[in-house]
Amino acid sequence: MTPTAEPTAFTTDETYTPEGAYTFRNSREGVRRLPFPFPDDEYMYSMNLEPHVPAGDGAMRAAFDIDEHYISECHHRAQMLEAMPGVHYLALPHMMEAQWDLLELIFESYARDYPEHFTLTKTGNEWHWQNRLLGIDDTFTFGDPTTLPLEPMEYATRQAQGEFVVLEERDNDLVIGAGMTTQRADYSLRFNLGMRFFEFHGPVPKLHEMGILDRALKFLLRMKPGHPVRRVNWSLTVNPRLETSVETLPEWAPDRATVDAENAGERVYLRIELQPLHRLPRSNAIVFPVRTYLVSLAELVEHAPDWAKRIHRALASLDPELVDYKGFHRYHAAAVAWLAQHDDGAPLATGYPWAEGGIQPGD
Amino acid sequence: MLITGIKSRPVYDRLAPMASGLRHLAIAQGSGGQPMLRLLADMTPAQRGVATVVYSSESFTGNSYEAELRAVDGIDLRLCASNVEALQVLDDLLSTAKMGTRLYLAGSEGFIGTAMQRATEYGLDRDEILREHAGSFVRRVWCAHCNAYTENVTQRIFRCPGCGLDLVVRDHYSSRLAAFQGVKADGEVPGELPEIEELDT
Ligand code: HEM
Repeated sequence: MTPTAEPTAFTTDETYTPEGAYTFRNSREGVRRLPFPFPDDEYMYSMNLEPHVPAGDGAMRAAFDIDEHYISECHHRAQMLEAMPGVHYLALPHMMEAQWDLLELIFESYARDYPEHFTLTKTGNEWHWQNRLLGIDDTFTFGDPTTLPLEPMEYATRQAQGEFVVLEERDNDLVIGAGMTTQRADYSLRFNLGMRFFEFHGPVPKLHEMGILDRALKFLLRMKPGHPVRRVNWSLTVNPRLETSVETLPEWAPDRATVDAENAGERVYLRIELQPLHRLPRSNAIVFPVRTYLVSLAELVEHAPDWAKRIHRALASLDPELVDYKGFHRYHAAAVAWLAQHDDGAPLATGYPWAEGGIQPGD
Repeated sequence: MLITGIKSRPVYDRLAPMASGLRHLAIAQGSGGQPMLRLLADMTPAQRGVATVVYSSESFTGNSYEAELRAVDGIDLRLCASNVEALQVLDDLLSTAKMGTRLYLAGSEGFIGTAMQRATEYGLDRDEILREHAGSFVRRVWCAHCNAYTENVTQRIFRCPGCGLDLVVRDHYSSRLAAFQGVKADGEVPGELPEIEELDT
């Protein structure tokens, strides 16, 4: 781990809901460390899987990235779980071993990568966990669920940024067995639980035809513990709303009709998903974490002007099927028109920002 | 959001006797009686001798094959008045089923899906089951907003009896829920509904 120049200043009271008046904001540093997902001026789905090794000093530095929103996101998770029990967290009974695997992976990674905030002390199976950011200090017996206040996966992921889907391997396929998904982008965990790899990807256009799903599944089935891989994905959303599940669609979908070329900069958010996948050692399950980042188009223009130019070009040339699938056909033109004012057409570097020579935020 | 052309829809088989089976458990509903009769005709007398047939005459289209099934010699036939009853009989039979049991399902998508849920609970593998769709493509739909299930949905848009919202039925299917997904049809702009069409794909 390379030390960061500045310790992170956590924003503790920001909100991701209309009731909370969407007070979420990014700092300049917060924007410039994002895993910006557009390596080229044109965007299309690809087999964008790479080894999850530390890279740069932004979001790719740690195994599980935390940033200035850690505390407020953990509060948001707790609120969502309370508001809709049985909708955002589910685990099938036979996933208990994988739950402990996941708890171990998260706690060990956090303690290793952020020793100033987290400490894990093991004495045999007696574990002592300290999370200074949330004020948690607990001891429990690893493998004994009666020693924790919640199931191990719920206990650990309530203290983690991003969501987590755990899949078991069955007849050369991956089947969803558990999930903590309070930040879902337009799908249902209840509905998808128990589905296989091709089934839960059923709604995505082109993936099948491009042969990506086949290759991705084969790749994932060969994964070994200790060798995580990652990919990034993105979408657009209106307002800094983290919880956009199918279940609550009637609450958030109307926002899509409120965007115009004047307000697009403030209203439209790029939603970046960093997905580092790990094979879990005891259960042989695979965990699919989705670390979600929100940044408004206006914040990009202000703090990362070259990224704003890049996203302008990628959106302007985006395949209409992807526009439809990602759910922004209603405000696509408005977003492109707003961004066009901030793109001088200068050539931009290619490659992800965390790769050598890749596109940087700009000044 | 993709509505049609989603690849999670189940793909069905054509019922044919599975030679590896030591016992044959066949369960059908409504129009599913027809493939069931064909299956029984394709069986050897020895296979029919170890076959149990459960048939529910509940049907959306009104087709019943009860009389024809009664006329088949040498099978253990259990007739039921409703799908719920037939599924209960299936449950009882599965709870005592031995290794080597093969399962055959025929009928509506909702019926097959619900029977599959039971079979999965009892740990049957996919290669021990054949499924043939018969009759109309009525769907069982799960409402993503209020968690209600509606049987026999025939239109792309319908009003959910649970929450009163107009739902669009996606081609997205969950075997665990044995249902298609229903989502508010005019989510973005109230009253702006997609085209109403018959569900028959
Ligand atoms: C095993 C872990 C994975 C899980 C649990 C998972 C789950 C999902 C889910 C639930 C969706 C949304 C589908 C919907 O609209 O209902 C999705 C979308 C997608 N997935 Fe995966 N996925 C996994 C791995 C992968 C991999 C390895 C790839 C490619 C290499 C991939 C590529 C995609 C793409 C391109 C989309 C569409 C995203 C968009 O346009 O916003 N997924 N995935």
